[in-house]
Amino acid sequence: MAAAALSAWLTLQPGTRTLRAFCTSVSPATRSAIPSPRTADRRPRYERPLRRKALPPRTEKMTLDQDWPSVYPVAAPFKPSAVPLPIRMGYPIKRGVPMAKEGNLELLKIPNFLHLTPVAIKKHCEALKDFCTEWPAALDSDEKCEKHFPIEVDTTDYVSAGPSIRNPKARVVTLRVKLSSLNLDDHAKKKLIKLVGERYCKTTDVLTIKTDRCPLKRQNYDYALYLLTVLYHESWKTEEWEKDKTEADMEEYVWNNSSSEKNILETLLQMKAAEKNLEVNKEELLATKEVEEYKKSVVSLKNEGDNENTLSQYKESVKKLLNLM
Amino acid sequence: MLKRVTRLVPRACQLDPGHFLHGGPQAPQSLAARLDDQVPDENPRAGSHPSEDDPAGAGEQREGRHYRIPLQDLPTVFPHGLPRRFSLQVRTFNEACLMVRRPALELLRHLDDTNFAHPAVRYVLYGEKGTGKTLSLCHVVHFCAKRDWLIVHVPDAHLWVKSSRGLLRSAYSRRRFDQPVEAANWLKSFKTANERFLSQIKIQETYMWNKRESTEKGRPLGEVVEQGLTRVKNATDAVGIVLKELKSQSCSGAFRLLVAVDGVNALWGRTTLKREDKSLMAPEELALVHSLRKMVRNDWHGGAVVLALSQTGSLFTPRMACLPQELLGKEGFDALDPFVPILVSNYSPEEFESCIQYYLENSWLQHEKAHTEEGKKELLFLSDANPGQLERLCAYL
Repeated sequence: MAAAALSAWLTLQPGTRTLRAFCTSVSPATRSAIPSPRTADRRPRYERPLRRKALPPRTEKMTLDQDWPSVYPVAAPFKPSAVPLPIRMGYPIKRGVPMAKEGNLELLKIPNFLHLTPVAIKKHCEALKDFCTEWPAALDSDEKCEKHFPIEVDTTDYVSAGPSIRNPKARVVTLRVKLSSLNLDDHAKKKLIKLVGERYCKTTDVLTIKTDRCPLKRQNYDYALYLLTVLYHESWKTEEWEKDKTEADMEEYVWNNSSSEKNILETLLQMKAAEKNLEVNKEELLATKEVEEYKKSVVSLKNEGDNENTLSQYKESVKKLLNLM
Repeated sequence: MLKRVTRLVPRACQLDPGHFLHGGPQAPQSLAARLDDQVPDENPRAGSHPSEDDPAGAGEQREGRHYRIPLQDLPTVFPHGLPRRFSLQVRTFNEACLMVRRPALELLRHLDDTNFAHPAVRYVLYGEKGTGKTLSLCHVVHFCAKRDWLIVHVPDAHLWVKSSRGLLRSAYSRRRFDQPVEAANWLKSFKTANERFLSQIKIQETYMWNKRESTEKGRPLGEVVEQGLTRVKNATDAVGIVLKELKSQSCSGAFRLLVAVDGVNALWGRTTLKREDKSLMAPEELALVHSLRKMVRNDWHGGAVVLALSQTGSLFTPRMACLPQELLGKEGFDALDPFVPILVSNYSPEEFESCIQYYLENSWLQHEKAHTEEGKKELLFLSDANPGQLERLCAYL
């Protein structure tokens, strides 16, 4: 009784694989409820359309030196019968492997670049060569390119088959320029960097201006150049309110007029007073070698932060200054 | 272990008090087998454990060795100074042994060569957590105490900026706040540590506490301290006066002043104390912090300032911060500049070996594998030669 109940439960579950042993104990009541495919179509066998046997996949007929760009000339979904690679994709269940490529939805979902193999790209380049002009022979190194053409403008054109040739993404214009190629002095450079903010990359010294606020590419290009001009001229001007720049606004540590300088001066003056040496003046004190070294170590400590190097340098300079050696 | 304890107790009773005063090798601490080790002070035992009490010493060859602080010195020199785990260890082993390490030796050498006419030099001990900054500070404090310096020791400045219950508006300055409890505690410890100086130093100004009480010029400093202890409301002002007087009088050369502050980054950090309108206070609004900041400036001479940074106990600092600029911040660095930073690092292999030997000799490590080579390697790996971590690990063995 228990076996019959178990088998009935098993057959009622849609996804389970019933074991053959239990098939024989299926009760007649359940069998008639499930429609079997044999009873759906009532035409005689010779009138029904013949179902073709599945042919072997195309991969078996592919040679090793075939022309792959003709198999995938354009971007096409992944066809397992046309790709001769034994690819597996999927999450393996316990004691299992990822699923094979036949009927694998995961492989269909992801974008594939089977139409852009190096051979295919070479062919594209060869075809495009007819439309290209020669690279100028004088510009044979990166430095020369930068020297003569410091501003680089990037634009993108989009081609697609569709009802309209316009693409709104095509209006974006990116302008890149290295600040070292612009004629800026110290104050102008700092002001420019503060004005542009995020658009400046410190490691590569490149200012990037990306514009897309106008509807046409030409307009955006003009606007980007206008922005560059304005930034350049504004950074050279000094406004009145720039006098109020405080220590917190400074980009890097400046030794002159800093509290560190005052401290060290006081200390040295006291030391000299203790030695009854009252005739030294401030400039002389500050010009000694030890003070120079100390100044360098403090500047590096503040600008670079704490690390072993800077701290040991600072320690040595302080010891020399305070005669602790 | 129990058997050994019962045997140690009768031995302690048999020794006469004279033995303790000399600070000679104290037999109760060694195992029963070493009872005939009556070596004199200057003869260091091989290994980790010389029974020397002089904190300075012969220099580099003493590095890695332990030196013992006589137990009767502890309440006078460190009334509140020792870190908690170390004082537990002292109680357990019945002796206070500190390892002589390179940063402390360097500091002691500098202190020995100090030019007392020059402004006070500031030394800052920094390092990762558990490397021994506080104990190095204590070593230096003991050294100076032995040399008869006046010690101003603040064991943990962080305690002054957190969770203080009795905050009062200062009578002296409307903008600042008093902390009577902390000030009174500190005054008590200061009194115990520097008893003999309190009667020698005379104050140079008259201080009016209120309409009826005042301390005249020329009275000993002890009276100011007493006033602070009896009238707890004036304790903070008393602390301020004591520090001011010490600073001005150390220039005269009557005594040498050592200012030792642990957790000095608290003075320039943030507090968790709130004003009446529940807004957070800045440290400068606390009178104690204000006076201590004035103390660690280098506008006085006749002594030295030894400071230790500490991340444990500090507020609003990331756990991995251990470098001076990270913990002191811009303000603190500018205030302490120029200072001599001294790095305290983990144990070197010899120091590690010495520490393990010390624990083994005191039968602190009971595990059977503790004295084998693999056991030591395992301890080295687990603790990464970090003294604090090693101590905690060995507590379980």
